[in-house]
Amino acid sequence: MSDFDGPGLYIHVPFCTHICPYCDFSVLTGDRSWQTRYLQHLSLEIELLTESGWPELVREPPSEAFDTIYFGGGTPSMLPPGNLESILEAVRAKMHVRENAWLFLEANPEDVTLKAATTWRQMGFRTISLGVQSFAEDNLAFLGRQHSPRAARRGLDNALAAGFDTVAMDLIYGIPDQSPRAWQSDLDEALAAGPHHLSCYQLTVHPRTPFGFRQLRGEMMEMDNDDQAELFMLTHRHLAAGGMPGYEVSNFAAGPQHRSLHNQKYWSHSPYLGLGPSAHSFARGRRWWNPRKIKAWMAPLDAGRPPLESVEELGLESLVLESLMLGLRTYDGVDFDNLPGGLGPALWRDNRATIDELVKRGLATVDRSRLRPTLAGLAIADTVARSLDLGGLRNEPT
Amino acid sequence: MVADRGTPSVDSIRNFCIIAHIDHGKSTLADRLIQSCGAVEDREFRDQILDSMDIERERGITIKSNTVTLLYEAQDGNRYTLNLIDTPGHVDFSHEVRRSLMSCEGALLLVDASQGVEAQTVANLYLALEYDLELVPVINKIDLPSADIERAREEISEDLGLDPYEAVLCSAKQGIGIEDVLEAVVHKLPPPIGDPEAKLQALIFDAQYDPYRGVVMICRVKDGRLRPGQRIRLMHSDKEFEVEEVGQLQLRRVKTDELSAGAVGYVIAGIKTVRDIAIGDTITEARHPAEEPLPGYKEAKPVVFSSIYPMSTDDYEDLTTALDKLALNDAALTYEKDSSVALGFGFRCGFLGLLHLDVVQERLKREYGLSLILSAPSVRYEITLQSGEEIAVDNPTLYPDPSQIQSATEPYIKASIMMPERYIGVVMELCREKRGLNTTFNYLSVGRVELTSELPLAEVLFDFYDKLKTVTQGYGSFDYEMLDYRPTDLVKVDILVNGEPVDALSQLVHRDMSRARALRYCERLEETIPRQQFKIAIQGAIGGQIIARSTINAYRKDVTAKCYGGDITRKRKLLEKQREGKKRMKVVGAVEIPQSAFMAVLTSDTQK
Repeated sequence: MSDFDGPGLYIHVPFCTHICPYCDFSVLTGDRSWQTRYLQHLSLEIELLTESGWPELVREPPSEAFDTIYFGGGTPSMLPPGNLESILEAVRAKMHVRENAWLFLEANPEDVTLKAATTWRQMGFRTISLGVQSFAEDNLAFLGRQHSPRAARRGLDNALAAGFDTVAMDLIYGIPDQSPRAWQSDLDEALAAGPHHLSCYQLTVHPRTPFGFRQLRGEMMEMDNDDQAELFMLTHRHLAAGGMPGYEVSNFAAGPQHRSLHNQKYWSHSPYLGLGPSAHSFARGRRWWNPRKIKAWMAPLDAGRPPLESVEELGLESLVLESLMLGLRTYDGVDFDNLPGGLGPALWRDNRATIDELVKRGLATVDRSRLRPTLAGLAIADTVARSLDLGGLRNEPT
Repeated sequence: MVADRGTPSVDSIRNFCIIAHIDHGKSTLADRLIQSCGAVEDREFRDQILDSMDIERERGITIKSNTVTLLYEAQDGNRYTLNLIDTPGHVDFSHEVRRSLMSCEGALLLVDASQGVEAQTVANLYLALEYDLELVPVINKIDLPSADIERAREEISEDLGLDPYEAVLCSAKQGIGIEDVLEAVVHKLPPPIGDPEAKLQALIFDAQYDPYRGVVMICRVKDGRLRPGQRIRLMHSDKEFEVEEVGQLQLRRVKTDELSAGAVGYVIAGIKTVRDIAIGDTITEARHPAEEPLPGYKEAKPVVFSSIYPMSTDDYEDLTTALDKLALNDAALTYEKDSSVALGFGFRCGFLGLLHLDVVQERLKREYGLSLILSAPSVRYEITLQSGEEIAVDNPTLYPDPSQIQSATEPYIKASIMMPERYIGVVMELCREKRGLNTTFNYLSVGRVELTSELPLAEVLFDFYDKLKTVTQGYGSFDYEMLDYRPTDLVKVDILVNGEPVDALSQLVHRDMSRARALRYCERLEETIPRQQFKIAIQGAIGGQIIARSTINAYRKDVTAKCYGGDITRKRKLLEKQREGKKRMKVVGAVEIPQSAFMAVLTSDTQK
């Protein structure tokens, strides 16, 4: 990551043509007038930033320039290129953005025409991420996706042809009754399409989503734990064999250069700023976030105030817990010598027995001060994180 | 309230109780009698006044007996003092029943017009006859469409041997015939016999605790007089106190100048806790003591034992305080410190029976807001060691090394089960399953059967009520009395989680039942212990021998799929919450056992 260790910028574009039944993100299916209002308010939010390019509540804003800009959603590809362009202009005018900042765009496969892809590429987008979800017709129907497998392939071809540095794609697995064989053939299709990056998310049923309600009514059952584990292992093994090794629980890249620079900032407590409804930000031991609902996000902006929902001061214990929890989700694991507050060595000592046990059970390996999960360990990363005792740490704001 | 401060003459006193089968309307009748004597205003009338504990009112049973004095102006124009001595309706409290009966000269024997005579009615009748009480049968619930008064009369005659035409008809619920009942009390029950000038003898048959006045003894004066200022001696405990106040119990306490022979009332004598007195003890005057105490003193011995632990170890102090307070007015409850590796500090408690256990547990929960875990109820075993020494063991953790044991005995009860005859087969089978001996039955009336069986109490503690209710579809009623101790082949079953014994789950059982019991515990644990990062072996063992086992497979997938978008706070908070939850789990052999697992295993049919 060496060259890109500055702050990252996230811009949430909360529009979709259709809301998927599993999604618990902040999205709406508004018409054009909503988009106009959104864009107006986004520029208000940018305007409210201080000279440093950070909100007022950041005491000593990071001096480094932003080196990633990520358009996520929702469906940023729904915004006309002209609008994306003006957002970027506003951002560049107000904030310190590195010249060759890495730009990311999430896209619906149908939106990725060769023309659109070329335009985005010319605007400086280097990674495009397509929400393919599956190449199987029945899975797409179950997931409420509007595109066909053919449209997904076409979108990918166009993205590749436009010459993005990284063409990424999202897949969902662990759909009720999905067999290992069916999932493997989905993976094969994905590999055959030739992307540089894959995110494979195991289906999670969130409360207050259509799937959540279906589950409550007993119409849908989450996959059995052992079966989930089998698919998880299969995913990591099969993709590694196909030249796309994993580097995190759900992320796979054809080479280190294709790993998501932006997402890695979240996992390593690099500073990041989020704009738009529901966006989260983090800097100097503080995390803050905007209201989820677009109206609640717009109202304070209309009154000339930043759209804050909450601010959280992270104590040392929270920072350490996050470092462990996020680090143990990655193939690289956690380097205890690099834990916040220099607490690693003491923590290692306190957890010596647990660490030995993890190694003995084949859930982790130890490489000097680094605890690295094995694949089996990765599959139960939450359990592993819980098993470490933070006992003596005091939770004081840093 | 204006007190009638004069001492009623012995002839105008009637001391009586109501005996009935559960549900036959005893409390309702008592309420009506109180109401019609004007002891309470209608608007402050609360149904079942005598059942003062919430639990009693909810379950419609009387646990703690209450006594009330009614002032009744009879049709003959005379005023009578009627002392209604309420008796507890449950077998766990039969010692209290006996003492209550000893304080009466007569009893109303209540029979439900539609149910007829039941097992308890018969049992209570024999008790009443034992104490030579005059009996008046009362047929209640005559207003019900299903009432069959003639059949009830027939049963009174045949099953109870009483004159059916003496029976008073009433409906306590509708207030029909209440006057007739009161007239029968006055005219058919005898006044007490006693000599106010003789040496003082008063039987303590109940006690209450008043946070301001200390212990309030409820007693029946046989001979002599009790007055404030008097120096009294409790004959069994040989303790002396000075009487501060005496009076009648008219729902509220009403001070009087004295209680003389034949009277029933309360005595306050600056006594701090109910432990300082013994129910059944005799009060006499310190300076001129009676030669002999009255009969009726019998120590209430606990027969069921269980360890009570606070759900959160932080609540131990609160539990201590709660038990201390509870014990102030529950002299039968015993408790001593206990500790478990898995559950921390708690108390080993002794109870008169399962209902008593249940009541104590409920009160701790409701009145003191405590969340508790109770270990499986146990009986007290008597064990003879090789050395010849005899010990009593009611706690599996204190069970001696089997090689040192020569023999063991366990308590048996005589169970009496009443049911429609169609259930005889299944109930006999149930008794056989529960190691019942000498199971016999006889017909009480056409279609109704009473089955008796000699059962080990330990088997009754485990699952018996539940099964009885199930197999008789709710039609079986159950009652029991303690019999004796008999030889048993006792083993201690340990439950091991990954090879480590969970002490709170150990139990003493008969060898024949050990495998089934161990299997059941293993299965319940398997259902309730969540998967962990390694395989968990659950075993039931007698010593080194494994008799039951089950396995919980390792958790193989436990990771959130998506963790970005910067919303790491939510994920961390979830993890923090889980870590908190983990702290409340009990760790045995590196396995985290949630409290729900202990609850699932230990919750017996009595605790539902």
